[in-house]
Amino acid sequence: MLRESQAAVVARNEEWRGASATEPYEAGWASEAVVFVRALKDAVGAPGRARVELSPDGMHWVAEGSAFDLPVRAGEVTFARVAHFGTWLRIAADLPEGAALTVLVTWHLKA
Amino acid sequence: MTLDRHEIASALRLADPALSRFDPLRRIIAFDDFDRGFCGWTQLVGNYEDTLDAMHPGYAQHSQAMLSTLPTWDFGSHGGFDGSYALKIATRPRAGARNVSIKRLTFRRRGPIRLEFYFTFKPEANELRLSETDVRSIGFLYDLQTGDQDGDAWRIMPHLRFLNALDGAHVQKWQFKRRNEPFAAVGAGNKTVTHYHLAPEGWEDIAGGGQRLCYNEIPTKVNWHYCRFDFDLATMQATGLACNDREFDLSGFDSMRIPAMRNLWCMLNLAFFVETDTDKRASLFIDSVCLSGDF
Repeated sequence: MLRESQAAVVARNEEWRGASATEPYEAGWASEAVVFVRALKDAVGAPGRARVELSPDGMHWVAEGSAFDLPVRAGEVTFARVAHFGTWLRIAADLPEGAALTVLVTWHLKA
Repeated sequence: MTLDRHEIASALRLADPALSRFDPLRRIIAFDDFDRGFCGWTQLVGNYEDTLDAMHPGYAQHSQAMLSTLPTWDFGSHGGFDGSYALKIATRPRAGARNVSIKRLTFRRRGPIRLEFYFTFKPEANELRLSETDVRSIGFLYDLQTGDQDGDAWRIMPHLRFLNALDGAHVQKWQFKRRNEPFAAVGAGNKTVTHYHLAPEGWEDIAGGGQRLCYNEIPTKVNWHYCRFDFDLATMQATGLACNDREFDLSGFDSMRIPAMRNLWCMLNLAFFVETDTDKRASLFIDSVCLSGDF
């Protein structure tokens, strides 16, 4: 059997301001993931960093430890790799006051 | 004793534990068991041109389906009907939000087709109460178009939903929608249009379509349900709807009917959707789908 693999767009053309996060994504079948964030427009101000979060239930979240810079210029892509994450995944960020970023967020998951 | 081909095929299917719980027509077009992966079920993305800002907000809210073990906070994974995984379609946590998953095919023969699937639904279990009125509806649709050489040139869209709750009332009835929604151009290229066929207005009751589905007694326990929808591509008419032990009268049923579009010939799309009635995520779980045809 080929390894199951899936690309999942979980945020498309969403403007992030302040406390922001992707919708919970359940992927207990996957053993590894890469999350990409693409800026669809130039950021307003400095958007800062995003963090990967895990959850036992899709409702209570805890930082996984991975963090990465959010993209700033339109078309710029940043990413993080995650493994051994259990079932639930999301990324979250606290954008500074006045900052804004329009994102496309994609998980690439592999069994 | 001699058996004809149909009887042999029927006996083989009845002996196959994976297919025995379905009643497919002669040819199985697709048998999607989500223990084998996503099986071609993907996100219904809205149309756009030049910029994603052109996408209708009703479609912009959609996101990708998941493979789920129906994990719960209070006892762990629920699992599927016959394996670990089911397809999970989840809304955002905003009253009226919807999500849709779609499979895109074309048809070979205009004749009877049968859609069968096992499903269940639940809201996000973030309160210690039954929450039986938090999921507004679950439903399904076909998006069909006649062949490019056919005398009739129509795009036909049968829509059905089980309206579980509306504004907090536990309604529990099957509905259909035939009202066309207006088309709007997307972008300046005159190549793309959009119509929000899943707009919440215009749903009509199926006669005698009330049904009390098993929901179980806390917000995390689920029971799987069977559903079957028969449609004839030759006449573009619905011919049957069944859910668990009930069969419904579709004599008053009709589909959205739109003049054929220039690029959708022989289209056979099927989609599942879920809507939430509260500011809480609602999920539709599909364990398996069997699409069959009489050809």
